[in-house]
Amino acid sequence: MPSATVNNHRPSELLSRLASSEPEVKLRALREVKNQIIGNRTKKLSFLKLGAVPAVAGILADSADDVIDCNNNNCNVNNNINNILVQSAAALGSFACGFDAGVQAVLDAGAFPNLLRLLSNSNEKVVDAGARALRMIYQSKLAPKYDFLQQKNMEFLISLLNSENENVSGLGASIITNSCETSLEQKALFDAGILRRLNSLLECGSLSQKDASLESLASIFKNNSEVVSKFAGPEIERPLGSIIDLLKDRYPRTRLLACMCLIVIRSTSPNLLQDIGIKSKLIHILIELLDDPGQVGDEAPFAFSSLIAQKEDLQKLALEANAIDKLHHHLQKGSLHPRRYEGILLALADMCSKLESCRSKFLSLQVLNLVTDALTVDSADVRTAACICLKSVTRSIKNLSAGYFINEMVVVPLVQLFLDPSTSVQVAALGAISNVVVDFTTHKCIFVQCGGMKQLVQLATSMESAVRSNALWALKNFVFLADNRLKESVFSELTASLLSSLICDPEPSVQEQALALVRNLVDGCINSVEFMFAEDGLILGAIGRQLQSTVKAEIGIQGMYALCNVASGNEFHKEAVMHQLFPQMVDKNQSFMINFLQSNDSQLRTATVWTIVNLTCRSSPGAFGRLVKLRNAGIVSQIKNMVNDPCVDVKVIKFMFWSFFFIFFFTFLINLISIFVEQLRVRTVLGQSMAFGDN
Amino acid sequence: MPVRVAENSAPSQVSGTNSGNTSPPACTLLSVGQAFSGTQNVSSLQKEEAWRVNVRIQGCDLEHGYLCGTMEALNVPMADTPIVVTFWEGEIVDTKNYTFYTGKWEASSEDDKRHWTKFPSFSPLLNQVEVDGGKSLDLSNYPYIFMRWKEQYFVNVGTDCGLTIAGFYYVCFSCSDGSINGFYYDPNSSPFQKLELISTNEGRSGFSFSSYELQ
Repeated sequence: MPSATVNNHRPSELLSRLASSEPEVKLRALREVKNQIIGNRTKKLSFLKLGAVPAVAGILADSADDVIDCNNNNCNVNNNINNILVQSAAALGSFACGFDAGVQAVLDAGAFPNLLRLLSNSNEKVVDAGARALRMIYQSKLAPKYDFLQQKNMEFLISLLNSENENVSGLGASIITNSCETSLEQKALFDAGILRRLNSLLECGSLSQKDASLESLASIFKNNSEVVSKFAGPEIERPLGSIIDLLKDRYPRTRLLACMCLIVIRSTSPNLLQDIGIKSKLIHILIELLDDPGQVGDEAPFAFSSLIAQKEDLQKLALEANAIDKLHHHLQKGSLHPRRYEGILLALADMCSKLESCRSKFLSLQVLNLVTDALTVDSADVRTAACICLKSVTRSIKNLSAGYFINEMVVVPLVQLFLDPSTSVQVAALGAISNVVVDFTTHKCIFVQCGGMKQLVQLATSMESAVRSNALWALKNFVFLADNRLKESVFSELTASLLSSLICDPEPSVQEQALALVRNLVDGCINSVEFMFAEDGLILGAIGRQLQSTVKAEIGIQGMYALCNVASGNEFHKEAVMHQLFPQMVDKNQSFMINFLQSNDSQLRTATVWTIVNLTCRSSPGAFGRLVKLRNAGIVSQIKNMVNDPCVDVKVIKFMFWSFFFIFFFTFLINLISIFVEQLRVRTVLGQSMAFGDN
Repeated sequence: MPVRVAENSAPSQVSGTNSGNTSPPACTLLSVGQAFSGTQNVSSLQKEEAWRVNVRIQGCDLEHGYLCGTMEALNVPMADTPIVVTFWEGEIVDTKNYTFYTGKWEASSEDDKRHWTKFPSFSPLLNQVEVDGGKSLDLSNYPYIFMRWKEQYFVNVGTDCGLTIAGFYYVCFSCSDGSINGFYYDPNSSPFQKLELISTNEGRSGFSFSSYELQ
């Protein structure tokens, strides 16, 4: 067999053949390199390491020059050169195909401009090979960005799209898919009439032209409602019709791309494609595409996710279409490609993100076991997706209340992921555990026993702010309604100094979570308020300082609720809060309480008024003095100004506050009267005694 | 002095379709973690009887008109444990997710009206409820929140404990003082068992609020 001898050369041997001065030898070597590396990443890598790409790029450059020099000479020479050009372009395209390291090597070798030059070659095969190689490069994010805003570039692009050659027009579409990002570029492409051309390719093009057009249309539409509305307008005949038609195409990839294009249109212009028919169609097609054994099946769950994410109506339709059963079925198959595995888990996560009915289905099918299995697989993306899926399903308060999730099967592998080398896995695991530890039963000890609590405290000091913030979030949920013993163990692990430094963390989200954690720590048993006074009231001081300086409502809300909870304690606690609200050194400045009461955020206004209610609680002896202080700081008159506050909650508290105020006012009057009566009595007695003395 | 909110407490009607925000107001006293205590009157013709009851809110999702929590009944006769805990889920009457008409749990619209009218704060709404079930009411500024609470399962005892959770509660929460009134409805139990709860501060000299957030 002739091919046997060709295929047996080792890479190093082939490389020396590429350097041959004999055109025939060189041509055969090029062909063999190309054949060996097609679809074989390992082979690509080994050729890459040997420096094959610069060698092939050099051959391409030399031959491209030769073709110009001998353009008018004899045809045979040109034929040989053209063959070399075709084979070197094809080899470079293969290196670049689906392999970023290959793309980088091709670009580094300076082959890109020479491949572009091939597009103006007179030989159709050379043009085709050049276009094909460039398409491979433009499928990677590493491809040089194309500047659509330059007139000559736009003209060149139009010429590519108008070409009869399938690969050349496909290249045009790939360039758009790769480089069209800004709304200005999208508008420029629309104004240049590109969409008409793409639309005609959808209707009359070949399979690859249709696919390429669908992809580039999606990039032109993405987040640009103006362009979508123009495209869907009367200017273009049956604009969306041509895409919708392709949902029925016989090729799975075309159906997938048509779905993805329509999903982009739907999310960009929510008023389009809203009828239930098209929604159901998209759901059914994407579910069906999961069965595809190849790349289409790998990508289908991601498209499905983007269709249903944040959309309850679509999640409901998908549930009715048995999407969870189908996804479960695929998950059960086992030995899935990591990309498909990740996609299915993310699709399940989106299905269970909002609706309890979906979570019930998920749990009744016992998908949970398969998802927890995925927490320990090799791929970090799959582990992250499994955590995200758990995060979604553990939003079920009904099951949290029943203590359904806080068991060793779920908790132990999640806690192990706290130390995962990948930060995204860590963050996702912390997100899932944040929900799991919202447990209303007495099973929180499981989390402590497996070392979860101690690890959360350690992660609160991580260098990554997302990890710190999520660790504190989980601790906040963990101590919610926890008994005092559990809170004490968290606090002794955390320490007042660490907690106060986290309240003053440079990252606002960390500050917010640290304050919310303190808020929960000092709720419940009255003894818990004492946490605030550890280490000379370090935490209380940190809260006061943070509230003085913050401009973020979220931080103000958590800080004020923390103070509110302390102010619900005894007289000493209330006075300590007053000290933070009115520190002596900033007496001349307006109290931040005024700003909070004037905030646009009703939650911040509410938290502030509740704190005032607690400080002026009528059962506490020092309330009157505090009320006077609040009045002097202009807070009482500010509350008076809130008569028409649209927030019912603030109004209600305000009325409670005024009821206290009036009680104090009358108490004050009664006190005055009794002092007056007493003085009168004393005077009378004195008068009497003097009178007696006189006598 | 609760009742002062009367200035704008009359519910308005939503113009046109139910497109605006008609959800009840967010109320801190009806948020997660809040506790209530009181009694449920279970008197029958034979004898006067009331059980002590504690309630804790565990979940609240105003967007979906959803609320849930636990209910503890203390010293229930015939029960094996001193405290019987149940988990309940609530439907908030927001005219978007749920209306005043129950449409399930063996409650007819007549049963609904008979129970809702037991709450004085329902009176201003009655006429509109009779017209369209209250669908056109805007309750977003109304200082009372109407709900149905349905016990779903026993937390600490088995279903064979000799007790039933077949019925459900018609509930009215006052945003003004955090009090809860309710009436238990079960065609097979004594009618109009009254539930009366007040917000508790658990030994504190003021109100305390904790919270959790699901990710």
